[in-house]
Amino acid sequence: MATAPELLPYGRIREDLFRPLSGVSGKYILATIIAFVVGAAGLVAWGFQLFRGMGVTGLHRPVFWGFYLVDFVFWIGISHAGTLISAILRLTDAGWRKPVTRAAEAITVFALMIGAMFPIIHLGRAWRFYWLFPYPNSRLLWPNFRSPLLWDVTAIVTYLTGSVIYLYLPLIPDLAQLAEEHKTPWRRTLYRLLSLGWTGSDRQWHALERAMKLMAGIILAVAVSVHTVVAWDFAMTIAPMWHSTIFGPYFVAGAIFSGIAALLLVMSALRKVLRLELYLTRHHFNNLAKLLLMMSLLWFYFTMAENLTVWYGNEPSEMAVFSARTRSVYAPYFWTMVFLNFVVPLVLLGIRRLRGIGTATIASACVVVGMWLERYIIIVPTLTNPRMPAAASSYAPTWVELAITAATFAAMAMLYLIFSKLFPIIAVWEFKPHPQEEE
Amino acid sequence: MTLYLTGEFRDQEQLIAAIRSLRKSGVQPEALDLFSAEPVELPRGVLDRPSRMSLISVLGAAVFGAVATAFIQFTQYNYKLITGGMPTFSFWATGVITYEMTMLGAIVSTFAWFLWESGLMRRRDAGPVPRVQPGSMCLRVHCAAELAGHTTDTMRRNGAVYVA
Repeated sequence: MATAPELLPYGRIREDLFRPLSGVSGKYILATIIAFVVGAAGLVAWGFQLFRGMGVTGLHRPVFWGFYLVDFVFWIGISHAGTLISAILRLTDAGWRKPVTRAAEAITVFALMIGAMFPIIHLGRAWRFYWLFPYPNSRLLWPNFRSPLLWDVTAIVTYLTGSVIYLYLPLIPDLAQLAEEHKTPWRRTLYRLLSLGWTGSDRQWHALERAMKLMAGIILAVAVSVHTVVAWDFAMTIAPMWHSTIFGPYFVAGAIFSGIAALLLVMSALRKVLRLELYLTRHHFNNLAKLLLMMSLLWFYFTMAENLTVWYGNEPSEMAVFSARTRSVYAPYFWTMVFLNFVVPLVLLGIRRLRGIGTATIASACVVVGMWLERYIIIVPTLTNPRMPAAASSYAPTWVELAITAATFAAMAMLYLIFSKLFPIIAVWEFKPHPQEEE
Repeated sequence: MTLYLTGEFRDQEQLIAAIRSLRKSGVQPEALDLFSAEPVELPRGVLDRPSRMSLISVLGAAVFGAVATAFIQFTQYNYKLITGGMPTFSFWATGVITYEMTMLGAIVSTFAWFLWESGLMRRRDAGPVPRVQPGSMCLRVHCAAELAGHTTDTMRRNGAVYVA
């Protein structure tokens, strides 16, 4: 069934979707300045950490993973918004996907770029990040490929490569059109270079469609594996409440959940800022909101399964973590997480009368915060309650970690602001009417 | 001597009829190029473009996966780490990297083959590229000069708005 935007005349569609690429509003400048200032504060904090060492963070024995790993897992999870959702919708040929896919694919690329920064920030000596690459050191010792941390490197490199290509491929026809039409000379040059000489011949369209279908299938398999590998960073240890067989699917479900929420938030912002109300309609929000609700139920099921088995097993070291999570230090975070990830979506999206663009945005914001808390709840209580009770400790982030965390959100906003000014955020050529339809 | 003729069509059925007529008169599919502002789906047999992209993707995946696994095996035997009685090289421990590299191979080879098959970044095609208006389709025919009249007639007869 054709969605409303497809019924608009093509000239109007092109005008509406190319318009955001020209001119800059006051709101845009203000948003960029805020994002830049917050991002710069994060860079200053990182510089301070590089200069003074990891002692400026709240990390200490035995809590070696804190906010940085929480942020890493969170952003990798957010990255599942795009490519995965876009690939599923593309493979199932869902007609309503057209205004959604590029916005989603861009989230993946930016979230991955941000997430991939954290292992480097966490290294302390960031300038030695290349030690992770497969080459022998001066003693001819190779990286340990058995280490799940090296699995992360390969998984993220693969996912980032695939996601960038998956974002770029459907951009090519739009870039070719912009190369002809845009008024600014440097932009025309940029678009011409990036469009690689696209002429719109049937050979090119065939190749593009085939490549997109293949890439959609491949990227689905990669996306699932990436978050499974991130889960295995934890599950392959024998730390209490990490060594779990359901961690892989639990993380994948959580990633898709947070990803959909992030996509809804971005769509809501784009709709207002770029005035795309005609293209990102209630219909799109409604469909994604239903998907979000389904993932909320699945997330709750996984959370219940994970915690109930631990409680029933009553194994002392696991119960120490369980108690810390649900009854003592971390209980406020845990129950807030349950409220934000389950109760809010269930009420706002489950009751049909309440479901709308505004409530979907509110529920999504809650889920994004709730999923960040979930990562915190998974990582920190286990580290503060290791198997040796005498080693139990506490963790509190310092201003450095807080500033860097805030900067990642600013970086996401800034990357998105830049992207939406350089490239059409909705694939224009996908809206083009077939000759008969136009008549 | 050969030349390029371009006919503009507004109707997909007429375009299909024109392609069929040209094919019947002996024009090879390689000599036909269809330009449009959006993908045009033609029935099977009209202007098929056979592709090896899936095969290349699988081959790329197999090559990357095999090379990565062989490389890991080499490094682990090249400098043996203490594994506590476990095998020096094990698929259980390195399977994830093999998998990811296999997928990377599929991604890279698909993209590379897309660039090759679509002719992007290649300047082999020296023919004129028509400026396509939204909603119209341009059929470009590469033919011998003596067949130009027949080709023009065929396109006009089948509904081409103009032929140049």
